[in-house]
Order: sequence, then structure tokens, then C-alpha cells
Amino acid sequence: MSWLPEQIAPDFLPRLLGGMAVNFEIALIALLVGLVLGLLLAFLRLGKGVLGLPAATVIGLMRAAPTFVVMFFLLNAIPRDAALFGVKLHLTGMMAVAISLVPYSAAYVADNAAGALAQWRSGSHLGALLFLPNLARAFFVLVMSSGAGAAIGVTEGIAVILRQAEQLPGLEDKLLLFAFGIALFGIPLQAAFYLIRVLQAWLSKVMMRQQVQS
Amino acid sequence: MSPVKAVSLAFVAVLSMAWAASAQDTTSPDAALAKLLAEAKEQCATPTVDRLVRIVCSGKVRVGARDFYPLFSLRSGDKREGYEVDVADAIADKLGVDEEIVRVNAATRIPMLAEDRVDFVIATMGHNTQRDSQIRFIRPHYYQSETTVIGPRVALVASWLDIPGRTVCATIGNGSNAELVTHEARLMLFDEAGVLPERLKDGTCQLAAQDDSFFAFYFTDPAFTENFSQKFGFAQVPWGMAVARTGSDRLARALDLISQIFHRDAVFLQLAQKNRIGTAFLREQNAVWKRLDCDNAAGSTNPACILPALDADLKPTPFAREVSSIESWVRAQTGWSNFLLPMLKTAPAWTLFKAGVQNSLILIAGALVATFVFALLLGALQGSRHWVLHWPARALTVVLQSTPIVLTLVIAAALAQALFPYSDAVAIGAAIAALGLTNGSNAGQAISEAMTTLRAEHERLGQGAGQLFKHALGRSASQLVSFLVNAAKGTPIASFIGAPELLSSLTDITSFSAGRVTTYWLLLIFYIVVVMVVVWLCNRLQGWLARSLA
Repeated sequence: MSWLPEQIAPDFLPRLLGGMAVNFEIALIALLVGLVLGLLLAFLRLGKGVLGLPAATVIGLMRAAPTFVVMFFLLNAIPRDAALFGVKLHLTGMMAVAISLVPYSAAYVADNAAGALAQWRSGSHLGALLFLPNLARAFFVLVMSSGAGAAIGVTEGIAVILRQAEQLPGLEDKLLLFAFGIALFGIPLQAAFYLIRVLQAWLSKVMMRQQVQS
Repeated sequence: MSPVKAVSLAFVAVLSMAWAASAQDTTSPDAALAKLLAEAKEQCATPTVDRLVRIVCSGKVRVGARDFYPLFSLRSGDKREGYEVDVADAIADKLGVDEEIVRVNAATRIPMLAEDRVDFVIATMGHNTQRDSQIRFIRPHYYQSETTVIGPRVALVASWLDIPGRTVCATIGNGSNAELVTHEARLMLFDEAGVLPERLKDGTCQLAAQDDSFFAFYFTDPAFTENFSQKFGFAQVPWGMAVARTGSDRLARALDLISQIFHRDAVFLQLAQKNRIGTAFLREQNAVWKRLDCDNAAGSTNPACILPALDADLKPTPFAREVSSIESWVRAQTGWSNFLLPMLKTAPAWTLFKAGVQNSLILIAGALVATFVFALLLGALQGSRHWVLHWPARALTVVLQSTPIVLTLVIAAALAQALFPYSDAVAIGAAIAALGLTNGSNAGQAISEAMTTLRAEHERLGQGAGQLFKHALGRSASQLVSFLVNAAKGTPIASFIGAPELLSSLTDITSFSAGRVTTYWLLLIFYIVVVMVVVWLCNRLQGWLARSLA
């Protein structure tokens, strides 16, 4: 077995970093669209209007929809010449992945926003602020899930790793490459989770202090 | 045998051969063609009797050809070039008329014949049994192609034995996709063949399967040839010119005879050489059409000389007729014009569909059990006070949390294939292990965190730990249920490593059948319903845990 760096393409690292940027881009789009849709659904569900039940049903369906199936559904069941409000939809692979993650992100946002609204109404403004670290957590879950794009030919981080692995002859080399990929994805993820925990602990302390003072 | 008898027999034999040669001359394809054209010229007063009469009397033939199919039919401005263009030119010369080339594509070449917008088409069209009912193919065929599997030169692929579990890029609707599926290839589908070379170059496709005539052009590029090679070919299909089924009997006959002559005289072969396309088939046909039993006016109907159409008809299911009735009823009631249920109408699709549903349910059940077992195991280990047990479990959880699920699946599949030969069961087993580990590690973390809080509470209250693990399980029940549901939702991703679950099966079915939209709607509904059932079952489990641990 020769040393792994000698076997991988010289432009592998730049391509991998470029691919990971695509993962983050997909996650950002999914989170932003999910945020708008999820907040709307949360308000409808908590409102007293007739739209509460339909909103709850939609959230339930979104929770149950598997991302991978939604991705293939979007690519295969949406006509190529489909238009929305007169604008022709050109569903690229990257957009298909991003939109397939929207049911998850919207349902997650709706659930957390409902909790945050309840906290806000009960007077616990800091408790409601826990919504923000939860959003950050969802963002990283979306980054990890966006690797599904490899199945439809989107050149994101996982696709770059798998294409490089195809060129390696031995299982040991492939496993080393996978370990490198896990480290690249894992370090920002674990760092982000650590910061989220610190932020949550700080918010909890502030809340406790406020409760004691009141 | 006496000398007299021998001489008599030899005399009879010589006479027979002389008679046969004479008969050959009068019934040769050349003579039959000349007679046919002469008769057509005499009927100019009634040009509607057959398209051949109209062509020879108007002095013009309308030929349907493609605009962009490199090496075969290519148009740049007013200039056209390629093998099919040259064949069309040669046919027009033989008929003694001018030609007008009309653009056709894969979708329009048959309708344009029926609508009398072209007299005949020569447009890279494979002759199969399905098309036989729509148009009249010209025999003998002017070319033959096969589906070729292309991949990087370094890829060790030589036959069907190397295909199971590999991703092969192909185009939707390609008739040979069914054969790829039966050899356990994972298909990545594209709308247009034109993207395949680029997808090979950027590494998206490990392998691509497409007509060899399509890749012939790319293999004229030294850079492409340096990196990619043909691995093997399959599904040979003869290419035929075609005319409309009605009003073209004599035209078809004339084209049959011209094709015979062009094979016998190596006209097709020379035009192929000029355009740098494969010539093996044309060399074989040249030898066939020189034979006495083929080189005659009846040769194009002699089964010993002509090739059969590719049998592309898939065996229907016993209930295909009823399914068609249901489709028609739904279309009429709802206006959903492309409502089709391909998975119920042909035997191969029905087999794939049944296996897909069965494997999906096995996968979901397996993923739920594996998640539960790994959650208990990793929860107990992480909750242990002994560092030898605690830290490895914690490290494994961190690694699994940091790994995108697609990568976890690929690693599980790679390890499984290192231990066992590839099979559907191995792929499903690897997927169950990967989904179980990923979700079980997260649920296990929740159990261990519950154990930590319970310990703190018991120590603060001065109580013994008691049935700590059981209580921790109750406290983390909602998290456990959440990851069980997540595991069930994640099962379709197993198709990425070749597990033949429903998504994979339906993708395969739509690669060789119509009805993509209906199929993917049904798929989405199936999984949403299944996940909702799992949610209901998990909620019951949570309730049971709460009651039993109260």
C-alpha cells in the first residue's frame, strides 16, 4: 500500500472544500425556505382560526416525508416545463436537494417556533430565545443531510469523496479517505454543537438568575 | 457408378446451373427494381396509388433525418453530413430523383411518417417488435448498433459479472435499461444522452451505458479515448429505414431492393468507411447478400438472409388488461392524462415492484430493531462509570454524529462487501447496520444523559441508584421514539448502496416504462403512510414504556 496522499488527485482538497461549500449552500437555502414556511405554519397552528387544523396536518405530513424520496419525487414528478406564477421553474440538482430538505426544516421550525411562542407568551423571553441555538442545530443537521445530493449527481462534498474513493484500489486506502472526510465534516459540526451547548447553558443561567430576582 | 451414368449426371448438373444463372439474371434485385420504377412511371396519372409513384413522377423524395447525431447525421447551416445522409443521397440517386431532407427527432420520426410529412425516415431508429406495429421497416437493415458500457480505462469491468452493485448512468426510456436492471446495476438516469460524456469526465458516472453509435463520435477524440474505453456490449439492435404502413407498399419494396443491392455491392460498407463508423456488421451483411440464395428478388423476405426485429415486448401480467381499464377510468374521471401504473402491467415490472415493497418493509423493520438494540447497548456503555466502557462508546457516537448518513452507508457497504460477496441481502444488511448505528448512537446518548441526571438526583436525595437503566429508558423515551421514526424515514437512502427497496425498484421500472409521474406520487404516498404507521406504533411504545416504568 503506498502512502494515501500520493494516490489522491492533487486537486482533491480544493474540490472537496468547494463541494462542502455546496453542502452549506444547500443547507442555507433549505433553512431559509423552511424558516419562512415553518413560521407561517406555526402561527396558523397556534392561531384560533379555521386554518389551525390544516396547518397541523401539513406539519404532520412534512414530518413524515422522507427527504430522499422527496428529492426523487421532485426530480421525476415535476414536469420539466413547470412554471410558478408564470416563472418557468428550472429545477437543478442542487435546488432539488435543497427543496427536498424543506419539509424537514419547515416542520422542525414550526415545532420549535410553537414552543418559543408559548415561552414568549408566558413571559419567558429568554426561553423563547432558545429557538436560535435550535435553528443552528437544524442548520448542521441539514448540512449533513445534503450529502444525499451525491445520489443524483450533485457535486457536493460527499460526491467528491466518493469519486476519489473510486480511484483508490484498496479498502484500507478508501477507509483512510473516508476518515479524512469525516474529520472535515465532523470538526465544524462538533465545534458548532459545542458553541450551541455553551449558548444554551448561558441562556439557562441568565433565565435562572431572572427567576431568582423576580 | 457407370461412366455413362456419371457423365449424364454431370450434364444435368451443368444444365441446372446454367438455368439457375439465367433465372438469377431475370429475378435479380436490380431487374426487379428497374421493373418496379418503370411501372411507377407509367402511373403518373394516379400519383395517390402509392408514394413511390408520387416520388418518381414528382422527381422528389422527402427523407426524414436527424439534425444532430455525430457521424450519422449532422447539420451545420445548410450543409449535412454523415453516414445516413450519404445513404439517403445514394438512394435518391438510385431512384433517379432529387431529395429534400426534413428534420426529425426520436419523438417525431414515426408520427411524421403517419402524417405524410416525409416519404421515408433514416434516423438512427432501432427495429423492434413494438415499432413493427406502427411503421413498415425496410429489410435488409442498413446498420446495427448495440448498447455499450463505457467507463474509465482503469475501471476493472469486463462483463456482466462486474456489474452488480455498480452505478451505471443511462437515459430514461432506453430499451436496454431493463437488461441492466436484471443484472443488478444501480441506474442513475438522465433525460438526454448528450450529458453522459461530461458526467463520465467529471466523475459523476462510474459507468455509462448507451448506444455504441452515440459514443463512436466521442471515441474520435484522443483525449476521451485516452481516459475511457468500451467495457462490453449487449442488446444488439438492427437499424432500419422505415415508411408509413399505408400507401407505401411499392416504396417499401423499392427500398428493400435498393438495400439488398447496396449490401451486395458494398455501397453501405464504403459509405460507413468514409464516415469512420463501425463496419463489422456491414462486412457480414456484404457476405450474406452476395450469396445466391439471398441475391435475388425474394431475398428481403428470406428468413435465412434478413435479421429479426429486436423483441422488445415485455410479458404482460395476468391482470394487465384490468389495470389498463382502471387507468382509463381514472383518466376519464380526473383528467389526469398521464395516469399510468407501469409496475402492474408487465411481468418484470411487477416482480421488481413486489420485491421492492417486501424489501422496504424488511428494511424498515430491521432499521427499527437495530436502532433499538444499538440504543440500549450504546446507552448502557456510555452511561457506565467505567472509562473503558464509557469512552469508546462516546467516541463512536461522536464519529457517527459527525458522519453524513450517505458516507456511513457507503462505509458499511464497503466493509460488508469485503466480508461477503455482493448480494441484495448484503446490501440490505449493511443499510440496516448503518441506519441502526447512526440513530441508535444518538438515542443511546439520550439514554446515557438520562442516566447521568438520574444518578445526580438519587445522590442528592441520598437514594440508591436502583433500577437506573430502566428509569433512564423511561426518561429518554421521547428521544428514543424520535430516533426510531428517523430510522424508518431514512430507509429509502439505502437505495444509494444498491439495496433493492421500493425507491430503487420504481426507479428501475421507470427507466424502461412510461408513467414516471404516477409512479413517484405512489412512492411518496407509500413512504408517508409507512412513516405515519411507524409514528403511531412508536407512540404506543412510548406510552407502554411510560406505564410500565411508572
